Amino acid sequence: MPDHQHYNTWLVLLSYLISVLGSFTALQLAVVIPLASTSRQRMAAVLASGAAMGVGAIWAMHFIAMLACDMGMPVTYDPVLTALSAIIAFVACSLGLFIASSGAFSWAKLAAAGICMGLGVTGMHYLGMAAVMMAAYATYDMNLVASSLFIAIVASIVALWLAFHLRGRVQMIGSALVMGIAVCGMHYTGMAAFNIDDNGGQQPAGFAHGMRGDYLGMTIFVVALVLLAAALIVHYKRQQRRAAITI
Amino acid sequence: MVELEIQILSSRREGLLVELGHVVVANGFTLLRQRVYQDHQGAWLVMVVRGEPAKQLGIEEVLATHDRVLSFEARLLTHGAVTQAATSCAPAIGSAPVSISPVGPDVQRVESMLPQLARDYPKIYPWLLALEHEVAAEAREASLLLAGRRTGVWVFKRDYEAGGKLGLADAIKRIAVPALRSLVAVEVRDRQLHMQDSPMCPRGGQSGCKFFCGYLEGMLGASSAPQSVFVRSLHCRSNHGTADCVLEVSH
Repeated sequence: MPDHQHYNTWLVLLSYLISVLGSFTALQLAVVIPLASTSRQRMAAVLASGAAMGVGAIWAMHFIAMLACDMGMPVTYDPVLTALSAIIAFVACSLGLFIASSGAFSWAKLAAAGICMGLGVTGMHYLGMAAVMMAAYATYDMNLVASSLFIAIVASIVALWLAFHLRGRVQMIGSALVMGIAVCGMHYTGMAAFNIDDNGGQQPAGFAHGMRGDYLGMTIFVVALVLLAAALIVHYKRQQRRAAITI
Repeated sequence: MVELEIQILSSRREGLLVELGHVVVANGFTLLRQRVYQDHQGAWLVMVVRGEPAKQLGIEEVLATHDRVLSFEARLLTHGAVTQAATSCAPAIGSAPVSISPVGPDVQRVESMLPQLARDYPKIYPWLLALEHEVAAEAREASLLLAGRRTGVWVFKRDYEAGGKLGLADAIKRIAVPALRSLVAVEVRDRQLHMQDSPMCPRGGQSGCKFFCGYLEGMLGASSAPQSVFVRSLHCRSNHGTADCVLEVSH
């Protein structure tokens, strides 16, 4: 990591945990999309899993990781770009999960879905970084930026393969752990690509009105609570459905 | 092609022919003749249908378990006997149901056993062995096949339905083999499943791996794309004296 970034280890671990929890919830919602009997049910399941993945696993993880990162100067976030980054992640993940869950399994479909999800993770990250306001110029190492995109796409493909191709515990747990690696691997590689140069202490316009870390912390706490509740509901509903199936 | 004469008793006559006629067509059979009449027991529907032999058990199962059907009987007609059957049953059905000997599974016994089988799964061999001994000899294999199909579909829906639709090879590897391992030691080689020491197939036994054929057909038919899956027994240790029973899966 660049010298200007110092990380709180516990928050880094928490960022991985939240990405795994979000991925677990999203993929457990996604694997039942093919069972939807109406297009309305199907769309609802796609949007719910897209929200869990985009907002829970990716967006919330990103901002926990940003809270974990001390850049040695005050930082605020542009609220519009921050909201837009969540929307991009939500839309891209919904599209990716829709593709992965439609019809019979094929490698072409898996690749298309993985590219959507990978672009969603990466797009969210770099838009989220564009929302960062601080008294410095930001530059990127483009080789590492490309690496972060590659990691996001490949790990997303692996996670979707595990989720839709396998069955049992590996499907449930393995896919979430790998998707967590996709999100965190992309994020921390992207952060390694992020450099700042001194701009003479000039704060950007709107700095004072930007969102501060404590507001983000509250938002992320709410997202984490919703994800936990959703994971519990998914598990409960699945047990209920399993018990109701007659021979 | 096979031709079947099917006799069904229902509680009411309205819409019976339309509803069950759709079932017949949906299962790939052609309705050749039909007759509906009423007596003190309820509404009787007699149909003569024609279709592929491979689909015979399927249509019998669907009709026998249909919610409008109170009792179900079917008999296989010899080729060319359709006209004779249709004309001969016409006067008979005016007074009393024709005498039809059951062909295929003993649906009633299978149905009554299935809830216990679901309750005790995967420790189901006592129930299956009991079924094997309770049903008539000519209905034994078909009954075990039916029980297997119903169990296979049920296990798939319960434990393996969430996920993508798989091709046959992947469905065997990811779904059928893990599910079958809860019942019997099994190895997969290409599309052949080698089952070791199946309790359903002791030497000199009579089931002929039919339960497992049905189990795999039900499970793979529900899980893989395309849905028409056939399983046949290449070797059964009860007949061939080999150590393993070998089942072959095909589209």
